[in-house]
Amino acid sequence: MADSNAPRDHSAMLANPLFDADLLHRYDRPGPRYTSYPTAPQFTFDFDESALRKVVRESNDDPIPRSLSIYVHVPFCASPCFYCGCNRIITRDRSLAEAYVARLVREIAMTAEMFDRDRDVVQLHFGGGTPNFLSATQLRDVVTTLRHHFHFADRRDSDVSIELDPRCLSPSDVADLATIGFSRASLGVQDFDPAVQAAVNRIQTVEETLAIIEACRRYGLRSVNVDLIYGLPKQTPEGFAKTLDTVITTRPDRLAVYSYAHLPQLFKPQRRIDAADLPAPHVKLALLQLAIERLTAAGYVYIGMDHFALPDDDLALAQARGGLHRNFMGYTTHADSDLVGVGVSAISHIGASFSQNPRDLPTWQAAIDDGRLPVFRGMRLDDDDSLRADLIGQLMCQGEIPVSALERRYAIEFDDYFRDAMTRLQPLFDDNLVRRDDGRILATSRGRLLLRNIAMCFDRYLDRPGIPVKFSRAV
Amino acid sequence: MSQPVFPRSDARTAADDGDALSFCSTCAFSEACLSQGMDKRELGDLHVLVEHVGPLHAGDHVFRKGDPFEAIAAVRAGTVKTYVVDSEGREHVLGFYLPGEVIGLDAIDGEHYPCNAIALDTVALCRFSFPRMAELAARVPGLQQQLFRLLSRDIGAAMRLAGDWSADQRMAAFLLGLSRRLAARGFSPRRFQLTMARTDIGNYLRLAPETVSRVLKRFQDDGLLVVDRREVELADVARLEALAAPILPS
Repeated sequence: MADSNAPRDHSAMLANPLFDADLLHRYDRPGPRYTSYPTAPQFTFDFDESALRKVVRESNDDPIPRSLSIYVHVPFCASPCFYCGCNRIITRDRSLAEAYVARLVREIAMTAEMFDRDRDVVQLHFGGGTPNFLSATQLRDVVTTLRHHFHFADRRDSDVSIELDPRCLSPSDVADLATIGFSRASLGVQDFDPAVQAAVNRIQTVEETLAIIEACRRYGLRSVNVDLIYGLPKQTPEGFAKTLDTVITTRPDRLAVYSYAHLPQLFKPQRRIDAADLPAPHVKLALLQLAIERLTAAGYVYIGMDHFALPDDDLALAQARGGLHRNFMGYTTHADSDLVGVGVSAISHIGASFSQNPRDLPTWQAAIDDGRLPVFRGMRLDDDDSLRADLIGQLMCQGEIPVSALERRYAIEFDDYFRDAMTRLQPLFDDNLVRRDDGRILATSRGRLLLRNIAMCFDRYLDRPGIPVKFSRAV
Repeated sequence: MSQPVFPRSDARTAADDGDALSFCSTCAFSEACLSQGMDKRELGDLHVLVEHVGPLHAGDHVFRKGDPFEAIAAVRAGTVKTYVVDSEGREHVLGFYLPGEVIGLDAIDGEHYPCNAIALDTVALCRFSFPRMAELAARVPGLQQQLFRLLSRDIGAAMRLAGDWSADQRMAAFLLGLSRRLAARGFSPRRFQLTMARTDIGNYLRLAPETVSRVLKRFQDDGLLVVDRREVELADVARLEALAAPILPS
């Protein structure tokens, strides 16, 4: 334990990702993104409100209880983006927001009551849907309620962040967000190419986007993230290159470049995308290569799993000192906190458990109107789950499996315990995606874009036949 | 390979390696009995013995206050907490019992248990029927001595906390005490799990739960220890010993 917490210079070891189209093509297979392990399809319905209350009680009773991260889900969007696989409700009826906030306030009060008062909140994130479907006043109400019921750490590095749709936001709204206390914003862009925007039903001008980024800076938000997507219909290297160049000129602190996963049987909105418009596999890989080359040339550091950051950004600094973590909200600098999700479909991760709120509005509403915590499924992790979750988390964050540290922490003999996994990993050794070195298994520069393929070797649930689980592809 | 981290046990710490004829290797009484040439069969003939109980699960009571006193019990695995509840309904934690330690000793001058005993995790016990055990002790001097030793250790632990110690001193003494007791049973003295809740630790040490966490955090910041969820690693035993010295002489 002691030496794994000691500062280590990871930046020296983390190889830049190496792009090898043939390799990526060969490893392009469906798999989870591992924002959690086990993944959500493993959650079961016997995890109920009393199970949640019990894990919270236990988490309060740790010798040093963990700090808290809070996630607030806002499910509404004014119009449907066809690529979206998120849980959301398309509406223009703003009165829904009012009723939603009223119930959020009650859920927050009920939830906060379970936690001891000395559990500091170090991170608050609003995701969606479109969080700015709520007005600034409504967002302020939610944040004020949270600050009333929870104890927020007054720390310089505490994060209050929000995902923003620049299409329904004005620069003066950003000023309001800043006064509410938001310190980080994440803007959806995807691609500025008009043909792509038409094909995905998301028309968003460069001007309105840049105006919002500019406003975030003017009103003192500490950090701006931009989301792009490759693999969208009608996307071309030429158009995407232009988008990348435009975005790079604004110098966002962080960038996420996600792979579009076309799963129309799973995500209804995607049925409105004509599969014939999708870029061929080699074009999709060219788009990824373009993104990596332009961003690294512009000085961005590849963090892992689609994420890039400026070298002086907190994420890059945390990775360099071995202090990066990952949860449902993506990468974070906050050491293992317990995650408390509120709102429709929100997932919580408290102690060794996951739990999720109902994914449909009526069920969520009914629970809250009844005065019940609206948990509808979840799971308790056993020792094996916890070990594998730790392993996969380290791999996603630091690009390595700390074999010796895991052996000590869990009192296992690694090669013996993971014999099956190591057999599955052998082809990846042969392909030089991973190498073993000094008590560690490291992702090589060839393997850094295929972290999830490495992680899949250690996923116990992928072994189990008969559980049909649908995941997006690796690249 | 390093010593096992409590409460994980292996062959070296397992206290359930006894059978109908052999004592468990960790039995508090085996030495006294064997030195008098009494093996388990003979104890059985005297109806003293010796019944393996469990597993009990977290929250199960071993006995409750007022239950008729029939037996003392040695912990074979897990942690047992003893406590009483006062007239205002407040709980007072009396002690924590680890593998190899004996519960129920404070009942031996009466007919009823004077406190409650509850399992904090998965607990296995070895039960010695009591009046018989007392008779046996009269015949086996080593056994009587062993009983007195256990009793005085029990009283000593309670007395030590009665002093006017600081929160830091109490916590250091608590952690070192656990470390030494676990070491005596073959567990790692440097790394172990706190199987008790922080509210229980606070109650036992007469500190608020938030103070428990604050002190542990400060110890961690000062490099005395590392806390990871329920697991504690004592990083600087010498400084902890210096802190605990007034309560817990080395």
